This record gives sequence, structure tokens and C-alpha cells, in this order.
Amino acid sequence: MGLETISSFTGQIGTVLLGATRSEGGSRSISYTIGGERDLPFLGSPPSGHKPLVAYELCDDAAVWPPVVREFLGDRTREPGAWAREAGDTWKPDLIRLVLTSTRKRDFQDFASLRRTVEEVLQQSPLPLIIEGSTDQAIDSEVFAACGEAGEGERLLLGTAEAGRYRSIAAAALAYGHAVIAQSPIDINLAKQLNILLRETGVPADRIVIDPYTGALGYGFEYSFSVMERIRTSALKGDCDLAMPMISGAPDTLTIKEVREADPGIRQRVAVTWEFSTALASALAGASIVSVRHPETLALLREAIDALWGGAGVR
Amino acid sequence: MIHVEEAIARGKKGLAAALSQVFGEFSYDETAYHLPVTYALTGMAVHSGDAARKAFAETGENPLVAGECVTASDAAAGGKEPPPYSGFIPDAELRRLGYSLVDGSILGLALVCGTPGSPDTAAGICRELQEKLMLTFLAGDVVPSLSGAGVKVGGEYRLIPLGSTPSRAIHFIDILARVAMMFGGVTPGDAGRLLAYAKERARAVVILFPGLSDEEVALIDAFRVLGIPVLTLGGYEGGSFLPVSPGEAVRRGMDLRGIKVSVTAIPIPMACSPAFEGKSIRKEEMYVEFGGGRSPAFELLQARPAGEVQDGLVRVIGPEIEEMKQGGAYPLAILVEVAGKAMKKEYEPVLERRIHNFVNYGEGSWHVAQRDIIWVRLSREAVARGVRIEHLGRLLAAKFRMDFPDLLDAVQVTLVTDEKKVLDLRGEAERVYEERDSRIRGMRDTDVDTYYSCTLCQTFAPNHVCIITPERPALCGAISWLDGKIAYEIAPSGANQPVEKGKEIDTLRGEFEGVNRFVKKASHGEVDRCSLYSIMDYPMTCCGCFECIVVMLPEVNGFLVVNREFKGETPAGMSFSTLAGTIGGGAQTPGFAGISKGFILSDRFLQAEGGIRRLVWMPATLREEIGPRLREKLRKEGIPELYEKIADEEKAGSIQELAEFLARAGHPALEMKPLL
Repeated sequence: MGLETISSFTGQIGTVLLGATRSEGGSRSISYTIGGERDLPFLGSPPSGHKPLVAYELCDDAAVWPPVVREFLGDRTREPGAWAREAGDTWKPDLIRLVLTSTRKRDFQDFASLRRTVEEVLQQSPLPLIIEGSTDQAIDSEVFAACGEAGEGERLLLGTAEAGRYRSIAAAALAYGHAVIAQSPIDINLAKQLNILLRETGVPADRIVIDPYTGALGYGFEYSFSVMERIRTSALKGDCDLAMPMISGAPDTLTIKEVREADPGIRQRVAVTWEFSTALASALAGASIVSVRHPETLALLREAIDALWGGAGVR
Repeated sequence: MIHVEEAIARGKKGLAAALSQVFGEFSYDETAYHLPVTYALTGMAVHSGDAARKAFAETGENPLVAGECVTASDAAAGGKEPPPYSGFIPDAELRRLGYSLVDGSILGLALVCGTPGSPDTAAGICRELQEKLMLTFLAGDVVPSLSGAGVKVGGEYRLIPLGSTPSRAIHFIDILARVAMMFGGVTPGDAGRLLAYAKERARAVVILFPGLSDEEVALIDAFRVLGIPVLTLGGYEGGSFLPVSPGEAVRRGMDLRGIKVSVTAIPIPMACSPAFEGKSIRKEEMYVEFGGGRSPAFELLQARPAGEVQDGLVRVIGPEIEEMKQGGAYPLAILVEVAGKAMKKEYEPVLERRIHNFVNYGEGSWHVAQRDIIWVRLSREAVARGVRIEHLGRLLAAKFRMDFPDLLDAVQVTLVTDEKKVLDLRGEAERVYEERDSRIRGMRDTDVDTYYSCTLCQTFAPNHVCIITPERPALCGAISWLDGKIAYEIAPSGANQPVEKGKEIDTLRGEFEGVNRFVKKASHGEVDRCSLYSIMDYPMTCCGCFECIVVMLPEVNGFLVVNREFKGETPAGMSFSTLAGTIGGGAQTPGFAGISKGFILSDRFLQAEGGIRRLVWMPATLREEIGPRLREKLRKEGIPELYEKIADEEKAGSIQELAEFLARAGHPALEMKPLL
């Protein structure tokens, strides 16, 4: 691409380093630098228009995972390590995103198992790793300590910090050298506020990735798209507190009514199409990482992104 | 009784002597930070007696360096102390500890050291430290003493015994030094940054029992450089140790380091979050309202001595919500009294302005304007859920404590709804406002190189930027240049930022390169140019909080000023509220500007258009309010007769009447250069 820009932006999106190879002190096969844009996607000259990365999501307790994915994968969801290895080999995502769904169980206390899961996934898959920890403040401290420590040196991306609960993630990032996902509910002001809070805790800007929260297509996605645009244009106009790369995942796309109630014969295709359309639109809005759960979405997304951003992209 | 100064003098010599006896190679296990205190202070990786002495000399014979080198050498020679003593804590464990500090699961660090008079005193202090979420380290006889009193020690109890002698307290500092290097980005050898980090971030206190050797006293005294207060429970005199009683030791220590057990949720029946800030309550959604010209209302925040403020106390004087009729307008005084070690009188207006945000944080409460022209509403929905006047007070008391934890130790709020009392108190408040305004009077824009911005209102008007100069207060009238400066001091990443004025582009219009640069950025690219002293060319944007609006009247070649309290029509054919709706929201509207009342009296008022001589009309109440100062200003300018030539609604209600009045009066604006 390389259309001339229509704006005179003065700002630049900061960069974030993800994953660490052996020479960088970790054990990943590759590491990525995301961010650095000076313009909106497809406008201006490089380094604008980065090619988005695609993350594949898996979990350590498939009970709460979208039924359509469980149906597709069968018992391959039983063991996160093997799942991650197979995903990497077969569907070729850029990153793995491990969602620790086991922590959602009532009164969860088995923090040692989390550590084992993280170590197992790191061992089985050489790709840079995103980890989604707990969603309950009561166990955050121990969950993120376990994740952070188990992945020390690997420059993980840890999620998800929110305005009310960000300290444990920030602490894990600082203690063990990881980056954090800062999520706000489709609100530019709250996104900014959270970034400031993280900064005041000591997390440097180059270790924050914004998650503006992505609604499913047809279920509020237009708000997500618009807030991503606003975040990005504010940053390009010079607002440093928003000048971080963005990540977007829309897991709801796989559980919406249209998928649940689809004719069994086409259900898989509906799910994949829905997830694909949402993810691609997020990439167009400026997300540096798009994250999906259905294996078949990956190939489609890869093809579309390669076509739009060019084979090699501008990395 | 140990005389501290003398003990320190002897102790320093003792430490130097001990260091001179350190030979051979030594190091701590499992650390990348060598001898961490020495490494952090000097950047030197010390592993031998000679290197230790070199570092000691380089730091001006710092007792911490001597203490650390001697301890490390002893530990290497004599092996580790047996459990329960931890000795030097390895990096991996320290990382976990630093994690809990950042994470907030521990609030601060304490060192308890020496020989307690009775086991119960030590036990009491340590239990209190545990309850207050402090991580406590122990050194010396306090350890067996605690065990004797049945107190369990160890990491899981947040009581870590470092060693059997007080000298092992040096590990407390190597922990701080490593936390600073691991979490605070402090580079080894940058002693200045280390000290700054320890002072600002590392919240640590020492509680000292008797029984320390001279060397140990010298060592502990050296902790104070890192901002660590040393509290003693008897046995010491002189020096900078602070004697305390056992009952107050923990509280004093935490107070001194500003460690506070924080409030998390506000117990009121409405949600409270910045998310609700931009939501207004329309007339049909409203249950009751206060002020807004419908009833007397004002707000005032004042600093008081600590003894006079009871933290969390909320009082309502006058009728509560149950005694108010739906749809009614009632009087209200919001009186916030605060106390805090770091609180200064100059901070009052800045904090007072936050009442605006905080009330708007409430899901069913709404606030506009400031001082004695506030306008507050409670929604029907909120009142139905049980929100009462009292809850506004609870919200304010809690939010002030949460948002200014370092500044405020106690906040009490009084809400007055009794009309007579409100009116009485308003007189006093107006005196305070006047006193604040007079503080800045006399300062000129040319006296300073830096102005301040205010983007507090960007939640309502996302592209609005106020530029505050000594002669032009914020358009809400609530923040002067001094307030902006102070607000920046209190919250360096807050809504008031310094604006380098930069090269002058136009003297008369007050346009500066630096200001333009800032405004462009802060308005997210929407506004390129901003003249501080012109209404016609590139005027400042308006949010919605302005005290007054200046309006160009081309028919009479002048300007009118109308204040928020004036409810009638102006000769421009529009009321204040219609005008406000036209110019607010962060737009730049040539010919119109939102200003503070104080700005009318400024020499910069309408400077580009010819100054106060252009002023042709203002409501009688506004003229009365600023009358004495306006007369004074006109006298100084040599045009005292102008005062009578400025019309009001009695003299001229329409533009025709105004033109006639001005012609009769011989108003100078008529003779000035045409505005258009």
C-alpha cells in the first residue's frame, strides 16, 4: 500500500516487544516488535501499515470454551500443551494466547497447576505467548505471580488489566519482564486513564498493549471500531497516553445467536465467517494483534491479511 | 540510655575499623546485584576487602557500605545463620516480595530491631504491623522475644527474621536497593535516583528497641538518608531518632511515610466512577436541584489543623431529601474541610475544583460551575434507590481521600440545606474567594515564561483547552495561574500542564508559538491557533463552565458581557443559556468567548479590540458585584466616567435601546475602529 496521507499527524505509536528468542534470554523461535505506526492503516509511508499479527486462543479448561470450537476439535482440547503444539504446526498462528479458564471455577486455589500449564505450553510451542489470567480480583495476586514467574524471560503479554484491577498484572510485568494488556470497556477516556494508572505503578509505555474491547459484529462491533479509530487518531495527534499498539479479540462471535441457532450443517461455517469478519475489521481499524478461537478462521485471516498488507508486510 | 550523636561518632569509627579487617574474597549467593547496597550506590561490584574499602572511600565513608561489606564477609566466613534466620534473601524470593509491594498486597516495609523490654510489647507491635499489611523484618533479640510470646515468624506470617544481631538489619537496605533496581529502573551507581526512589516509593519505617551497639546505631542512623524514619521505644536520646510510645509506634511510622490503608468502595447507594462524569441530568429526570440561579448554593473547601477535622465525618444541617418536594430547588452549601501534613492553604482552590468532578462521578448526581454559582442536581432514579443529601458528602469525603492519599489525612464534609445558614455562610465564602483572587492580582503575563493549561473539562468538551495566565484566569473563574502551578505540583500528570509560551507571534492579540503548539496537541489537532487577548481572531475555545460570555455587538461597535446568574435576554437577542449552547463544547467562535468575571477587570480583557473601552453592556447584578473594582480600574485608566456609560438591562433591553443609550451617553466605543 502507500496512499498519501490525508492528515498531518505528528505523533507516533510506540513499539512493544513480544517474545524472547534464545539470544534474547528466552526460548521462543521468534520475537515480534509491534506498533510504530505514524498514520492510519493503509495511509502514509512505512512504517505505517504494519501487517497485523494473528494469535490463536486456547484454554486449560474447555468446559467454558465455545461449543462450536469444542465440536470442531473434539478431545484435542483436553491438554493445553499438545493443543498449542498442534495449533502452531497445523494452523500457523503468529502467537498463542493461553486463556487460564480453570481459574474461573468457584474457589479456585490450585495455583501450582497454572504454573505447570504455562511451563507445558512454553515447552510444547515455540511461539511467543499471551496469557490471560484470572478475572477475579481475589485471586489475581497469586495467579499473576504464578504466570509471571513461570514465564520469566519469555517476554509474555499478560492480560487483562482493567481500571479496578491492574496492580497484580503490573507487578508481574515489572517483576518478571513482561508486557500487559490494558482493557477498557469501549471508552477512550477510560483507556487513557488505565494507561496513566499503569504508568504510575511503574509499567513503562513500551510494555502496554491497549485492548479497547471488541464486540461481535452485529453486537456492537461498530462501537469498538469507532473507539479504536478514536484511540488511534488521538495517539497520532500526539496523545502519548494512548500511543500504544492495540490488540483485539472477539470471542463472543462464536456464541452469538446466529451461530448457536444455525443449521448444524453450516454452523461451523457461520462461526468462522463471523469470527473472520470481526477480526479482519479490527485489523483494519488498527489492531496490531487480532486473536481468534476457531482454527479455520486462522487460514482465512492469514490469506486476507497477506492480500491486503502484501506478502511480507512491513515489519 | 544511649546518646545517639555520640554513639554514631564512635560507631562510624568502629565500622571503619571493622572494614579494615576485612580480607579475601566474599559474595552473597543467588544474586545478580553483588553487594546490593554498595552496588546501587557506587555501581561497583565488590567481592573483596580491597574493593570494599575503595567503595567505602568513594561514598564518603557511608556506614551502609561498611555495614554491608562486613556482614557479607562475616556471612561468607561463618556460614549462614541457622533457621529461623533468613540471612541474605536471594533475588528470586525478593522478586516475589517486590511483586507484593507493587501489587498492593503489602503496603510497606518495617524493620523492628533491638532488645524489647518485654516480649508483649514486641508482640503487640508486630501484630499491629501484620494487621496493617506491612511486611516486617526483624533483627536482634526481638526474634527470640517474639517466639517467647508465642508469635510465629517466617515469610508466611509477614515477619521475616533477618538475623540474630541488629547489624543484620543491613539486609533491609539491600532489599530496598534491589527493589529499586528491579522495579524502579534505578541504574547501579546512580545514588541520586536511588535516594529519590527510596524516598518517594519505598515506604519503609524502622522501629527500634534498646540494646544496639555503637556500630549498629551508626548503621541504622544511615537509613534516614533513604527517607526512612527511625522511631525508638526508649533507651535513646539526642540525634534524629523519634521517641514514641509502643501504642503509637506503628501508626506514627505509617503516617510519617504516608502509608495508608486505602478505601476501596464507597458505601453509598449509587455507583461512582468517571464513566458517569459526562452524563447530565435533564429537568425531567431530576428529583431536586440546588443553585443554578434558582436557589442560593455554593461550595467551599478549606484546610484546617489536623485536630479540627474528623476523617469521614459527614453532617447535613437542615432538611434531608425526605423533606424536599420532587422538582424543587433548595439552598445548599457544600463545605469540605481537609487536613493533611502536606496540605497547604494555596491548594484549596485546586482541590475545591475537584468537587465538580467528584459529584459528577455519582451515577445520579450532577454538578456544573463553581464557587457561589454552582448548580447541582440529584436524579429521580438515584433518590428512588435511596440516595440522600448525606451521600453526596460521603462520596466527596471518600473521593478526596482516594484521589489525594498523599496530600490529605482527613476529610470531613458538611452539607447545609437550611436557607438562612446557607446565606450566612455564603458571605464568609465570598470573602475567601475574594482573598484567593487578590493573591494573584498584580502579577503580569510578561512576568512569567510558562502558562498553565486546564483540560479538566475535556470529559464534556473533548477538544477544549484553557490557557491560564496570571492575567487571564480559567474561564470558570475557579483556577488562577497560581492554582494551575500548584495543581501541576500536586499531580504532575493531571489536567493542568505547564505551557511554555515560546516566541511571540502577535503582542496585541497575545499569540505565542508555544501556546499554539500546546493547544494544537491538547485539542487533538482541532485548534491550530489561540490568541489569549482577542475575541475576534482565534479566540480561546469554551467548555461550558464559563462564568460570563463576551459577545460582539457590531451594531454598536462594542461588546456585552453577560454572567451565568442573569436570566433575562441580552441586547444580542439571546439569553445566557442560549448563548452558552451556541459557543460551548470546545469550539472556537470568533466574536464570542467564555470568560471568568475576574478577566473583565484584567488589562488583557479585549486587548486586541481596544480594551475595556469596548464594553457597552452588562447586567446590573454583575456591575454591582464587580462595581468597586471596576470603578477603581477605570479611574486608573483615566476614564472614570465610562462606568456610567456602560448600559444594563434597565437602561437598554434591546439593541436599538442600547444604540440610543450609548449615543446619548457618548460611549467611546462608537468612535473606535469598526469591529467588522
